[in-house]
Amino acid sequence: MNTVWLIPTLACYAMSAAGFAMERAGIRTRLARWATPMLAAGAALQTGDLLMRGIQAGNVPVTNFGQSLVFLAWLTALAGLVVIVRTRMPVIGVYVAPIVFVVLALEATTVRQARLAMPQTLRSVWLPIHVTLALLGYALFVIAAGVSLVYLVYEKRLKAKRPLMPTDERTPSLEKLDRINYRLLGWGFLMLSLAIVTGAIWADAIWGQFWSWEPAESWTLVIWFLYAGLLESRLTVGWRGRRAAALTIVVFTVLVGSFVGVSLLAPGKHGGNFG
Amino acid sequence: MRESLFIFGINHRTAPVAVRERLAYPEGEIVAALARLKQAAPAIDEVALISTCNRVEIMGVTIAPDRAQREATNFLACDRGVDATDFAPALYVHQARAAVRHLFRVGASLDSMVVGEPQILGQLKNAYAQAAAAGTAGLVLHRAFHKAFSVAKRVRKATLIGHGSVSVSSAAVGLAAKIFDTLTDKTVLLIGAGQMAELTARNLKRLGVQSLLITSRTFDNAVALARRLDGTAVPFDNFRPYLKLADVVVGSVAAAAPVIGPEEFEGVIRERRYRPVFMIDLGVPRNFDQRLNALENVYLYDIDDLSTVVQESIGDREREAEKAEGIVDLEVDSFLKWLGGLDLVPAIKDIRSSVEQLRELELERHRAWLASLAPGERERIESMTRGLVNKLLHRILSGIREGRAGVADGAYAAEIARRLLSNELAIEGDVLIDDDSDEDDDL
Repeated sequence: MNTVWLIPTLACYAMSAAGFAMERAGIRTRLARWATPMLAAGAALQTGDLLMRGIQAGNVPVTNFGQSLVFLAWLTALAGLVVIVRTRMPVIGVYVAPIVFVVLALEATTVRQARLAMPQTLRSVWLPIHVTLALLGYALFVIAAGVSLVYLVYEKRLKAKRPLMPTDERTPSLEKLDRINYRLLGWGFLMLSLAIVTGAIWADAIWGQFWSWEPAESWTLVIWFLYAGLLESRLTVGWRGRRAAALTIVVFTVLVGSFVGVSLLAPGKHGGNFG
Repeated sequence: MRESLFIFGINHRTAPVAVRERLAYPEGEIVAALARLKQAAPAIDEVALISTCNRVEIMGVTIAPDRAQREATNFLACDRGVDATDFAPALYVHQARAAVRHLFRVGASLDSMVVGEPQILGQLKNAYAQAAAAGTAGLVLHRAFHKAFSVAKRVRKATLIGHGSVSVSSAAVGLAAKIFDTLTDKTVLLIGAGQMAELTARNLKRLGVQSLLITSRTFDNAVALARRLDGTAVPFDNFRPYLKLADVVVGSVAAAAPVIGPEEFEGVIRERRYRPVFMIDLGVPRNFDQRLNALENVYLYDIDDLSTVVQESIGDREREAEKAEGIVDLEVDSFLKWLGGLDLVPAIKDIRSSVEQLRELELERHRAWLASLAPGERERIESMTRGLVNKLLHRILSGIREGRAGVADGAYAAEIARRLLSNELAIEGDVLIDDDSDEDDDL
């Protein structure tokens, strides 16, 4: 990311994270009230940066791991905003804002790699569609894991019979958290499935084969099956509530491990080594 | 000589209900009572009557507080037919600053039996409406009540004083709202049809519960309660098949051993496909085995758990009340400042007219010379004198308002300025103030 954009973007995300934390702790400050607008401001600034770079590159700016992290952080911030506003659950911000901030800050300070020019042959309408769908699916899984985390914390408090902190008056119910988790998983799964399909179509158009069993592809398939199982267990056996939340977090951990692991250890074509 | 607020009365802390109920006024009689009170107590300029089940208070504005209080006490004794000695020991009196503070604390629900309860504000608004209807609320009371309402609003916004549950049944319902997003599609099963169960069920119904199953050892009780609450009665020896339908189970039967055990309920949970169940155990001995709480998506609260929740809420409210007291104190200051400024009005009026008189006198003296001038020049002289007078007045008056005279009391400074400026009325000055105070009342 360009530093001209980076510094204000990071500042907005940091202030948003601090604001959400204060809001949770019951500290009523102006920052706490402005936590959501700050998140939106951060996302808007980042949108500006991505647009500039997209226009420069003539395509979605995701040619290496660092860039896909930035893109993922952006989608997570956007999806988080939608969830916070639509479900009126600022508690999700306590999780989303710091994650977006940390991912961006990490990318800026450590991961940053040389940008690779994408070969002319690979440029296609399928690229932005494939990449956006895949990362949007991941962003939804990030938020689903956050919702599940909140679920587990609240459920533990209810079981331990210490449920009514004064600042908890507006906390969402378990039922609502469970339902939103389910919806996020469903949408995320749909995005991931479409990403696989569009990726296959693109691969077929360029390399003449739908699937090449490179690490990123294999792991994506594993992830796809895990989320499919998660959704299926709810529909058939009725695994919901605590168990569903715990499993969501477990599967998400696998997702993070494979995303980071594959990108750093065996990037392949998905890492930008188009050969 | 200054108008000042006073409140006196009894409340739940100073008088038992046996005394409060004898002094309390039925709502419909307050307007008439205020009219009688105004007649019987000429020392009181403005008055309102606050009568709830926890307090009977007379709040008024007077320039003679002691006389006003005597008259009002006598009135209360006569009007309610109670011997004054019966309630005199329970009476508290607040004057000036303390009275304003008391009114604001009452409105903000800091003086309530259950701190933070919301009804008192409505009751206070009622008392104000009645005083307004009776025509006994004047400039000061209007302002005091409106300020009390805005203080209450501010306290509610800035603190968590009204949060949390302060009764067992409301705690149970509050917990239900933590587990379930909506209760309209949920089923409640009452095992036992006692009073606590009924209260809890009513609270749940208020949150939208539509499906209510009731079972009781004595089937007739279940049927009677089902009729009252629009539910369905189920025979006690056959309620188990209904367990899997129930999202909320309320137990309140007298039973030596738990009515529901964990082994049995595990099957129920599976049948429910792990949909959460909230179990409220109001029974002593307890109706539900404690181990149920360990089952997946089952939340069991017994009577002690609920009491703990209540205790914590009360503790939280008390902590919030301290913050609220700070807000009240600030608002009392700002109200008293306004009230103090009010006292300046008659003196300021005098100062203005004295200075204006001097100006006119001076113009009068030079009338002949002025008449010889051209109209434009005459006007110029007019406006020059007026400008001089206004500048002088502005400096004096704004100095008084801002307390620049070096004396704490703005009214005192204004009085000095008034006496110094009005040469012909220096000795009879007090008479003039009285005249103007009356005028001021009609503002």
